[in-house]
Amino acid sequence: MVDFMLAAVVAAFLNIGLLLVAIGTYVQNMRVIRSYYTSGLVLVASLLMIQNVVIVLFWSTLYMDDKALMMSADMVAHYLFAINVIQTIGLSILVWITRR
Amino acid sequence: MQNYLPDKFFKNSQKEFFISDTNSGHSVFATTITLPVFSFPEIIPRNLFSFSGTNDGQSGPNPRFKMILWFIIAGTKGGINRAKILNLIKDTPMNANKIATVLNLDHKTIVHHVKILSKNDLVIKAEKDYAAEYQLTKIMKENQSVLEEIMQKIGTK
Repeated sequence: MVDFMLAAVVAAFLNIGLLLVAIGTYVQNMRVIRSYYTSGLVLVASLLMIQNVVIVLFWSTLYMDDKALMMSADMVAHYLFAINVIQTIGLSILVWITRR
Repeated sequence: MQNYLPDKFFKNSQKEFFISDTNSGHSVFATTITLPVFSFPEIIPRNLFSFSGTNDGQSGPNPRFKMILWFIIAGTKGGINRAKILNLIKDTPMNANKIATVLNLDHKTIVHHVKILSKNDLVIKAEKDYAAEYQLTKIMKENQSVLEEIMQKIGTK
């Protein structure tokens, strides 16, 4: 059986990687063009980054330590996996456009 | 129901006609009401999904164009150089080689940037020649104030 929780966390790590690339580019541009637009891009990407870091933290602490929580979280893990994979696809497209 | 919807939705929707009753030999007056037929052009305004470069009589730059230009310049890796290219050819059209010399950049880099810019309808090749000069498109020329605003923010950096 596929461990959806682990797959979701792998997708979250991928998201963090993609967001690091995007934030890197946006920060480089922000250093040259200081505007609401460039700051906004950095802010949005950073908030998405926080979201994915929270997912990884939830998995490594709460999920791993609490057996009861682990069981109930596993029941909905495929939803979390679907959400994260869709985000990975979206971010891949964004990073592809950004780095062209 | 008719009171709440515009008349055009009920155009040809209500029909009155006579049906001849074959059993009794009398004609029967019948009214049928068919549901209004919607077509997408009626509900969704035209040009909602298409991007026309005109300002439709509004003053100032087109907000949608402004967003595209900001993203291409501030949201992509080589955006700053793209802005410099646009700023360079806004008055005098130049070919890729000349742009590379003036901006002190690699010829390949310039060709790549110009390709992205022309794909996004910001620059156009004057003729189909290898050393053809690039110039701003009509829509880019109409919204040059956005480029000037961005160039001011870039400054001399």
